[in-house]
Amino acid sequence: MSIIEIENLTKTYRVYQKQEGLVASLRGLFRRQHREVEAVRGINLAVEEGEFVAFLGPNGAGKTTTLKLLSGVINPVSGTARVMGHIPWKRENAYRRRFALVMGQKNQLWWDLPAQESFRLHQQIYRIDPAQFERTRDELTDLLKVRDLLRQPVRELSLGERMKMELTAALLHSPDVLFLDEPTIGLDVVAQHNIQKFLKHYQAERNITILLTSHYMKDVAALCKRVVIITQGRIEYDGSLSGIIDSFSGHKIITLQFAQDDAIDNMDRFGDVLEREPPRAKIRVPRAAVAKTLAAILAEHMIEDVAVEDPPLEEVIADLYASVDDAQAARERPPAEDPVSQ
Amino acid sequence: MSPTSHPANPERPQYLRVFLTFARNSLVRDMTFRVNFLIESVAALSWMIANLGFYLLIFTFTDSIGERTGWGQYEFFVFLATTMLVNSVVQAFFMPNAQEFSELIRTGGLDFALLKPIDTQFLISLQRVNWSSLINFVAGAILLAFSVYQLVTRADNPLHLTPAAIILYPLFVACGIAILYSLMVSLAATSIWLGRNQSLYDFWFYITNFSRYPMEIYNGTFGLPLRWFFTFIVPVLIVVNVPARVLAQPLRPDTSLGIAMGLFGIGATMFCLAASRFVFRRSLLSYRSASS
Repeated sequence: MSIIEIENLTKTYRVYQKQEGLVASLRGLFRRQHREVEAVRGINLAVEEGEFVAFLGPNGAGKTTTLKLLSGVINPVSGTARVMGHIPWKRENAYRRRFALVMGQKNQLWWDLPAQESFRLHQQIYRIDPAQFERTRDELTDLLKVRDLLRQPVRELSLGERMKMELTAALLHSPDVLFLDEPTIGLDVVAQHNIQKFLKHYQAERNITILLTSHYMKDVAALCKRVVIITQGRIEYDGSLSGIIDSFSGHKIITLQFAQDDAIDNMDRFGDVLEREPPRAKIRVPRAAVAKTLAAILAEHMIEDVAVEDPPLEEVIADLYASVDDAQAARERPPAEDPVSQ
Repeated sequence: MSPTSHPANPERPQYLRVFLTFARNSLVRDMTFRVNFLIESVAALSWMIANLGFYLLIFTFTDSIGERTGWGQYEFFVFLATTMLVNSVVQAFFMPNAQEFSELIRTGGLDFALLKPIDTQFLISLQRVNWSSLINFVAGAILLAFSVYQLVTRADNPLHLTPAAIILYPLFVACGIAILYSLMVSLAATSIWLGRNQSLYDFWFYITNFSRYPMEIYNGTFGLPLRWFFTFIVPVLIVVNVPARVLAQPLRPDTSLGIAMGLFGIGATMFCLAASRFVFRRSLLSYRSASS
């Protein structure tokens, strides 16, 4: 049995549509325009124990909503989910003792107190054995290199240090499942890297199951073998990171270094020219035509160097988001915003 | 150290121990902002002293509040001390949390409370303690002791403190606190539906204002409906009236009216606690968790 099982999970929000202008605002006091926003539209997903899965998707795609549903913070409209056999939104203590949620944009530590006071509170709420608590705390803060900051009020920590404390707090009770919602948002490259390194190490050592959302491809590439792409509340892709390019990009990028500068002038015949820096050029050609195109170019020109690469992952994913948006716009008939008045 | 530490059931949260840590952390925090703490204490105390001065002034014009109500100066000061005790506890333990609750809902910070393997209402309604408000508890206790002493030792018709009164007084004070707590939790929970409820504090003041006087003053065409409303619908009138009466007007508990009032007080407390729990749970179902 999978450790996380999601079937047809759906969540919609009713959102008040505020009209522009004073008169409309006054009218809004009596008649409100509401719109149903479908944050998650029938998601199916199974995650096995010990997997490290990334949720990718543009803002508002439903990644965070999915994590919140799995944490039992909000209730779904329909569908089911089971995590370690528990239905999350029942919020049973037996479930809540076994998972943790870390959100990069929200903090749970007492702002004016040193982090260690919040940790002590966690020890009591989760009923962690005192000796084990101290061991875990020291181990985590050593790994994250924040042990000497334990006595400093949280408000005086840097963003990166605070995030590390948040992670420590979430892991004190040794959860079996961990949900990470953009844990590296707003952090500098070094702090990002440290947190990646920590997560990789921690996950490998304990074999816990982690779901991560992030906008940083580096996080994902460093940590996750499996990637789930969510856009507009639906799963569009579920597989390996490299598989994204195979599935969604039909192109390769060929970089050519010519012997003469003027050779690049007639490259348009072979494919889309992306860059012209004589004597160098980059062209994009359909994957199937790479061999034929290269042969044709070699037959006509003197070439000093050549490289064939996949397009950058970010670009492929951005194209994918855009194509889903277009498809959605085409699918939905004109009344995209069914105004429901109350 | 803690009486709740039964290793028998590790799933059961240790509520007392967690609460003591809340109280401790709040005190540590208050001490970080020492001057603020001092100002808050002084402000709370001066307001009570001014209030007391006002009633002293009133009693230079009259011997009792209303005719044949039994609320002479020291009886009334027992009433006033009871108000201070009840309000200081509410302000120390519940008020900061109710305010915080509506902020947690608006910012989505409630997420973290929902994750913890402990009762959410307990966590939300008790995690902050405003220690400076407890100075009024001390002031109230002193005023109570002084007034009761005056009543017991006066030459004319001295008060006899019965064991029943001594046991029932703290019980009904606790009931009063529980009623106000329930009211506050219910009010705060409405912010889940309203998105923002900043009138909470004002609303609270308007309602509890009615609890600060003996119920005999609510008389006549306007008074009786008010008395009825604040006894049976929003039972804030019994919060102070019942315990103060038990202590200062001992003739009443023996009469049928006194017993009925006491029973009603206990019933109303149970009902309020159950209702607030219901409202709180219902409100959580509608929690949307602000976006992050």
